[in-house]
Amino acid sequence: MPAYVDRRSFLKTLGLSAAMYPFLCNLPSLGMESSTGRKKRLVVMFSPNGIVKKNFWPDEAGELKAFKEILSPLEPYRDRTLTLHGVCDKIRGDGDNHMRGIGCLLTGVELYPGNIQGGSHTPAGWASGISIDQELKNFLQANPATKTRFGSLEFGVSVPDRADTWTRMSYSGANKPIAPIDDPYQMFQKLYGNVKDQATLRSVLDDLQEDLAKVKSVVSTEDRRLLEEHAGFVRAMEQELQSATEGAAVAHATPELEPGIREENDNIPKLAKMQIDLMVSSFQADFARVASLQITNSVGGARMTWVGVDEGHHALSHEPNSNEDAQKKLVKINKWYCEQLAYLVKRLDETPEPGGPGSLLDNTLIVWTNELGEGNSHTLDDIPFVLVGGGLDYKMGRALKYKDVPHNRLLLSIAHGFGHEMKTFGNPDYCGDGPLSDLV
Amino acid sequence: MPAIRHSSAIVRLRGALLATLAVALASASLAPSSIARGDKGSSTGALIYANKCASCHGANGAGTDDYPDPLIGDKSVLELTSLIDQTMPEGEPEQCVGPDAEAVAKYIYDEFYSEFAQVRRAPPELEFSRLTVRQYEQSVADLVGSFTGGGKRDADRGLAAEYFNSKRHDRRKRTIERRDATVDFDWQKANPADTGEEPSDEEKKKAEEEKKKDDDEKKKKKKDGAKEFSVVWTGSLLAPETGDYEIVLYTDNAVKFWLNESDKPVVDGWVRSGKDIQHRVSMRLLGGRSYPVRLEFSSSDDDDIAKIRVAWKPPHHVEETIPERALTPHWSPEVLVVATPFPPDDRSSGYEKGTAVTKEWEDAVAFAAMEVSRYVVDELPRLANVKSDDGEREKKLREFCVRWVETAFRRPLTDEEKHLYIERQFKEGENLDASVHRCVLLSLLSPRFLYREAKQGPMDDYAVASWLSYALWDSIPDRQLREAAAKGQLQNRDQVYAQAERMLDDERTRAKLRVFLHQWLNVDRMHDLKKDGEVYPGFDERLVSDLRTSLDLYLEEFAWGDAPDFRRLFLDDEVYLNERLAEFYGKTISPGTSARDGFVSVSFEEEGRAGVLAHPFLLAGFAYDKATSPIHRGVFIARNVLGRRLKPPPIAVSPLAPDLHAELTTRERTILQTDIAACKTCHAMINPLGFPLEQFDAVGRFRKEEKSKPIDAEGLYVTRDGETAKFDGAKAMAEFLAQSPETHESFVEQTYQYFVKQPPLALGKESFDESVRRFGENGYNVRKLIADAATTSALRARELSQTENK
Repeated sequence: MPAYVDRRSFLKTLGLSAAMYPFLCNLPSLGMESSTGRKKRLVVMFSPNGIVKKNFWPDEAGELKAFKEILSPLEPYRDRTLTLHGVCDKIRGDGDNHMRGIGCLLTGVELYPGNIQGGSHTPAGWASGISIDQELKNFLQANPATKTRFGSLEFGVSVPDRADTWTRMSYSGANKPIAPIDDPYQMFQKLYGNVKDQATLRSVLDDLQEDLAKVKSVVSTEDRRLLEEHAGFVRAMEQELQSATEGAAVAHATPELEPGIREENDNIPKLAKMQIDLMVSSFQADFARVASLQITNSVGGARMTWVGVDEGHHALSHEPNSNEDAQKKLVKINKWYCEQLAYLVKRLDETPEPGGPGSLLDNTLIVWTNELGEGNSHTLDDIPFVLVGGGLDYKMGRALKYKDVPHNRLLLSIAHGFGHEMKTFGNPDYCGDGPLSDLV
Repeated sequence: MPAIRHSSAIVRLRGALLATLAVALASASLAPSSIARGDKGSSTGALIYANKCASCHGANGAGTDDYPDPLIGDKSVLELTSLIDQTMPEGEPEQCVGPDAEAVAKYIYDEFYSEFAQVRRAPPELEFSRLTVRQYEQSVADLVGSFTGGGKRDADRGLAAEYFNSKRHDRRKRTIERRDATVDFDWQKANPADTGEEPSDEEKKKAEEEKKKDDDEKKKKKKDGAKEFSVVWTGSLLAPETGDYEIVLYTDNAVKFWLNESDKPVVDGWVRSGKDIQHRVSMRLLGGRSYPVRLEFSSSDDDDIAKIRVAWKPPHHVEETIPERALTPHWSPEVLVVATPFPPDDRSSGYEKGTAVTKEWEDAVAFAAMEVSRYVVDELPRLANVKSDDGEREKKLREFCVRWVETAFRRPLTDEEKHLYIERQFKEGENLDASVHRCVLLSLLSPRFLYREAKQGPMDDYAVASWLSYALWDSIPDRQLREAAAKGQLQNRDQVYAQAERMLDDERTRAKLRVFLHQWLNVDRMHDLKKDGEVYPGFDERLVSDLRTSLDLYLEEFAWGDAPDFRRLFLDDEVYLNERLAEFYGKTISPGTSARDGFVSVSFEEEGRAGVLAHPFLLAGFAYDKATSPIHRGVFIARNVLGRRLKPPPIAVSPLAPDLHAELTTRERTILQTDIAACKTCHAMINPLGFPLEQFDAVGRFRKEEKSKPIDAEGLYVTRDGETAKFDGAKAMAEFLAQSPETHESFVEQTYQYFVKQPPLALGKESFDESVRRFGENGYNVRKLIADAATTSALRARELSQTENK
């Protein structure tokens, strides 16, 4: 199927009422899921360049008694957190570890040979399969009871404006990378643009009726009929718009964004907060059950001046473990990423689940992950997987330690958590014993 | 499956009614019967009608529930008399014979049956109408386009190409600048950008440094891959028809492709991933417009080989490499193509009209207005030429809005309109973008944009300008036309005609004429043309696509070449062929003949093939999948060429299967099938118009015999004035049609309908007759006819609007 280039695709639907349907059907009172059990959501949050192991992983397996420095922002939610040590990205083939790190992270499958030359290894292209978030989106969208307006939303923060293997994490299929939207205003337009445009439309209809009446006065009596019919349709439109806006207002208020935040390094904290707020409100409106938040990109070089680090993240991550200064800075950087996660968790926790008991967090599983286990060694072993929230009924408040488990099995577990019981996901050779059995 | 089923051939072309009306009036003096009213027969006739006919046919022949078809037609009184004498009343024809039949025939004819009676009963008037969908799309594109300027238009074709001897487009390493007719290259491991020319010393030094770097890298990789070079192609894509276009890039290397959008590539394949890569993208384009194109290509030594081909699948065609004729080396501005789908217009009169509004239409208008206004606000810096930090931003944006609304409304705003559309939309303390948004939105919803000027009071020069531009372009007036209106330079015929003539030389006129010719020839209904693969092996999708191209190349050359003489459409004996078509139709293209995208014009004189009616595409279109259909061919000639009105078949008849009468030729079978009184009334006209084309089979190939019997290609036509013309074969018939006044008048009529979109008789019979006369005087020049129709109708409409309001 060819991609249909159409930035105005939301208009590809006939009838005003049809276009407003997503709002109406997202009204809690009209929600369909009450009969089919609770909602389940997945959020994947990505940050780059590996972590500092000694300041990240809990020392012991079992109950999570305390967090190391990097994970400390999650302290209020320790009992809702699950760390998975020993899950390894086993996918090899073309591309360097940064490329495979992000490209195979959610797909569990090799990259195609291509022309993108990394720092080492052979050049590569895009991943050769779909990513788990998109697989689940398709699964949920195929069922009327779990279908939502967008299915999935791909948020980004400060993702470079170029499409290559290092900047793409989600794939709708082989060779089909999905560009995350890293401009909150663009995301706002996607989520709420038609609400705003419809409000503008409504605001001019009185003026339009006034002029229709004037034009009517210059045409003959029989031709007037055409204009009267026209005016009747305009009145009908006004009524439809009115009931739709009222309906949408009941569902939830359109969020307000701070205007004029440019996409530049020093605005990353503001941009991240805006994106997280938009994600939470999109869940509130049930626009999607799957979302991702990709902060920068694989090899991302954010300069976190706001935590007192002036060097770029990627350059620092190459420093050996013996460089104490670099290690300290990397801890600060990763702790800041964890703060973003904690903010998302907090917002979800504070927001009641529309129409259901509990909070959004109770029905959401967040997976925080990274393309590397560690920046300087570029290892794909011990990929940092931190899970938060009650979405898939995992037993939280624990630190699990595996011995060299392929990450395909974790991806498979998440799919099973949604009731999508695939036998394998990605490269079947790494799905050996099926889903991880000890998460629930 | 037959190519065209019987049912689709009997789709009522009600446009033909109007066509016939005018033609009948034009030749009124030759009509075989008096049309004077109140003649003696009428009172007797009226009585008989009331007693014996009205119970089925209803008062005034309007029909009843049992027999809903109204008594309207183009038979003469004599024909009617004989029909009534022999068949009416149904089942008891003996009840009304001889003088009675004649009296009732006369009564019927004069009161309501004939076209004259119809015109008398309902004299056509100019229609008040909204923009058609096509007019809406074109108007919006030109409205936005009026703020971006135009691209260069000339005969140059192909794309501008720049070759670089590096994998990035480094200007210092540009070694070749040239024009490429198409993008279809397989360089394998060669480097086309390596011209071996000596670079300057400075460049040499740089190159050596880079070479060393490259060599070091290569040593590391030791890979025998493609060479490093890159190419950038730029120019425009010409879309021949409105519809969805699929563009396909085949490559093994890195590509980026921009089409009608400058800010973002529609294909970003800079990451090559895998081999034999196809990038596909679909986009709706408006026919007759140019769209900016940019293609970047880069081969690196990570790639095995270097190759690229750019193909497309235009509407109604198979995929093919984008031909040279569809590419120009010049930049064009982006075109706004409205994405909102509109419900189709009413075409029951044979051409699209905007004389009705529906809820779906109004919803589409609202969506399109939201779509376009959002686009305008997003593109405001470019369209209004105002930066976000401009000190005079508000003033400039108000000016922009005035210009926008005036362009949309095709006239200057009154103070009252300015207040409503501009002042009231700029609210105190509000974001200026929001004000512009509201203003643009309101203007696009306004009746002043959406409705045509006719019937909105007396027409001034602005209304004449708009009449002209919609007649010729289906769009708003351009700057020159607006200026002419402002200066009062659209007063007399010479002034208006001069503008019309200027406006002929425009892609929009070409596009509109093309759509008209397609409708006239029914090509717009001949999609999915298929034939039985066993009977006609080789007549596949690709061949059909080529045939369509062949027809379009001909129509283009005919209409815009040196001699747009209408009669050529019947008499030309050449057909454009490429190698594939030549082989199928038994021709050879001599090597070295200069071809246009592989097509050359080849003579078919020796077959007696003549004109567009005998173009294989039409012959195949008006035929079944295994056999020809003289009926389809005859109906087309009777209706669309001669302007005759045919009723739907009175009884449902499925065509006789050829295998049931294996010994019969198609001609014999057709005669057998229609040998029923109820059929004969029309088929006496239809069949003999279809038979002369029996020289060509169901794929349009010449044949001398069928079922081992020689082809009988004799046909005839009884003209409206009762003369019988006989012809043997396609060429003789074409010669008759080319000179027939009925053909000429019908064509003028249909030109008026399609271009002006008003009933021609509403403009007065005299002015229409004048157009027919001038058509002949101008050597049947089709281009002049269009300019004449636009001019004559505009002036006449103004005259009418002024007398009406006195």
